[in-house]
Amino acid sequence: MLQAAATAGSVQEVREITRVERIGAHSHVRGLGLDDALEARQVSQGMVGQLSARRAAGIILEMIRDGKIAGRAALIAGHPGTGKTAIAMGMAQALGTDTPFTSIAGSEIFSLEMSKTEALTQAFRRSIGVRIKEETEIIEGEVVEIQIDRPATGSGQKVGKLILKTTEMETVYDLGSKMIESLTKEKVQAGDIITIDKATGKISRLGRSFTRARDYDAMGPQTKFVQCPEGELQKRKEVVHTVTLHEVDVINSRTQGFLALFSGDTGEIKTEVREQINTKVAEWREEGKADIVPGVLFIDEVHMLDIECFSFLNRALESDLAPILIMATNRGITKIRGTNYSSPHGIPIDLLDRLLIISTSPYDEDEVKQILTIRCEEEDVEISEDALSVLTKIGQDTSLRYAIQLITAANLVSRKRKGTEVSVDDVKRVYGLFLDESRTISFLKEYQKSFMFNEVDDEAATDPKGDADGDAMDVS
Amino acid sequence: MSTWVEMLKSSQKTCLVQDGRKKIHYTFKNHTEMAEEYDMATFDLSVRKFRKKSTLGSSGQWEYEIGEATNITNIEELSIRESNTTPRFSAKYSKNAFQWRIRNLPYPLDNYSITVDDEKRQLVLRTKNKKYFKRISIPDMDRFHLPLDQNAVKLAHANNCLIISYQKPSQIIEHEKALHKELRKMKASKDGDVECNPS
Repeated sequence: MLQAAATAGSVQEVREITRVERIGAHSHVRGLGLDDALEARQVSQGMVGQLSARRAAGIILEMIRDGKIAGRAALIAGHPGTGKTAIAMGMAQALGTDTPFTSIAGSEIFSLEMSKTEALTQAFRRSIGVRIKEETEIIEGEVVEIQIDRPATGSGQKVGKLILKTTEMETVYDLGSKMIESLTKEKVQAGDIITIDKATGKISRLGRSFTRARDYDAMGPQTKFVQCPEGELQKRKEVVHTVTLHEVDVINSRTQGFLALFSGDTGEIKTEVREQINTKVAEWREEGKADIVPGVLFIDEVHMLDIECFSFLNRALESDLAPILIMATNRGITKIRGTNYSSPHGIPIDLLDRLLIISTSPYDEDEVKQILTIRCEEEDVEISEDALSVLTKIGQDTSLRYAIQLITAANLVSRKRKGTEVSVDDVKRVYGLFLDESRTISFLKEYQKSFMFNEVDDEAATDPKGDADGDAMDVS
Repeated sequence: MSTWVEMLKSSQKTCLVQDGRKKIHYTFKNHTEMAEEYDMATFDLSVRKFRKKSTLGSSGQWEYEIGEATNITNIEELSIRESNTTPRFSAKYSKNAFQWRIRNLPYPLDNYSITVDDEKRQLVLRTKNKKYFKRISIPDMDRFHLPLDQNAVKLAHANNCLIISYQKPSQIIEHEKALHKELRKMKASKDGDVECNPS
């Protein structure tokens, strides 16, 4: 019943937002799905199975929330497609927007513009928040009218007008396209009391005006009524907000005056600037002006880091301003990048020694079915019970990712034949059209001879397994 | 001697003459910047603006105590701004009075009432039709810790513009006279001057 109400309410929203937020590989994940005792529920918040791994993640989450211990690290290890990234995403969702959560892939730090350690340092500092009081200018008032005009040609800038009032005055505002977007996203309408942060453009809805209490008979349970604000529309207010250390770095590293024109936006930040900021933050903390909010840095595909990065991590984790580091890998015993030594997960033993290791196991049949059902819901796909069983079988025999990919394709096929739901035939059809990993390997083995360059290099072609693995990895 | 005069004296000052205006830039000890612009002929103060460093270290926007911002901002950058039909508030001080003009206010004079809020040390402008409201502080009066007097305020309305004047007390007029004398003495670099001599 509640679920039905929630979906009914969200239909409009989804339609509006899909254009902004597309459905990603993990957009169905809304949390870790734990109860108050940190026990994992079988199916909850978009997570299925992996009970012990989720429980372990929950404990790490508590550690992060406590915020006392700096520089701990965890490693999520498991086969491809067993929900490593999903667990990390779940942790990010469970932490909420106030705790910084930075997610990078191991290969992201290899850039020509920045050294590896600089990129890692920036990622570290992005994951530490500073909660600080700052005076900002806000606009606070009741919405009298909101008017958004789309250009007749369909493309081009939208123009908008917003009339706000307090008990004493009324002002007309012109809106830019960014503001229009966030106003529609927040579904602001006449009668709402809102505040707009002038510097950041952030909108928060305080509630509905008492004078509008009789507008509708039916009202959501969470509708809050507030008084229309008094006095001037623009006020200065002390707002507590969280900025990351990296943001403070950037603000302070910009060259002042006309030189600012010639300096690039970010690039590398000087160590002196960072040290200055660290002492400043320590001062604020002692004076009680600011709190440190340690966040999470998630490095996916951590085996892509090389030996220099690993020794940097060892050192960086010792700092008292280090975030909780979570890494994920799908490798077993393999070479550490940049060396000829092999090590478990491709991570040097001295770093492994500091890690709490969480392992994920392959999903069983019921779990695969559950995940596919959740994905179907997320993608708005109606699927018949039989088709779902077939898809589950495919997921078990090939890979979960392949089965998930088939959902979208099968849905398109069924829509083309004007079907109401995806049937077994649709699934069979796309199964025939798109090869999975094992079929592409057997295909290659069979027709190896007719591919290019085969006659020259025999050895490289016999290793297609490695390539296919690499592709599957990128999706996670 | 008041603290304000002390602050002015201890600040670092640079002076520049441009477009017939003497522009003076002050940097106070707490890193706050102040810029003033005086007309060369009459020595009327046309602009006085402040810029503070935010807690995080970024330098913010100029805030105008006198005069108004001239640069036209792009709506896409700011994403929200007051429409150009809304009342626009600016301060302009004459020799004998503090004066504020609010343009784009079409309502007749009897619509407005102005009172002194002693507690907050502000003038409060209200409108009967609830279209405009403004609390006006007079920083110069605060700097000399002078009480606000209801009888010193006058309202006038013409051409869609409301003019509020507050008679300057003699103390302030005297201080300004002395200050102007000092400022006139200041050497200014001419526009186009370069700090180093190109050989």
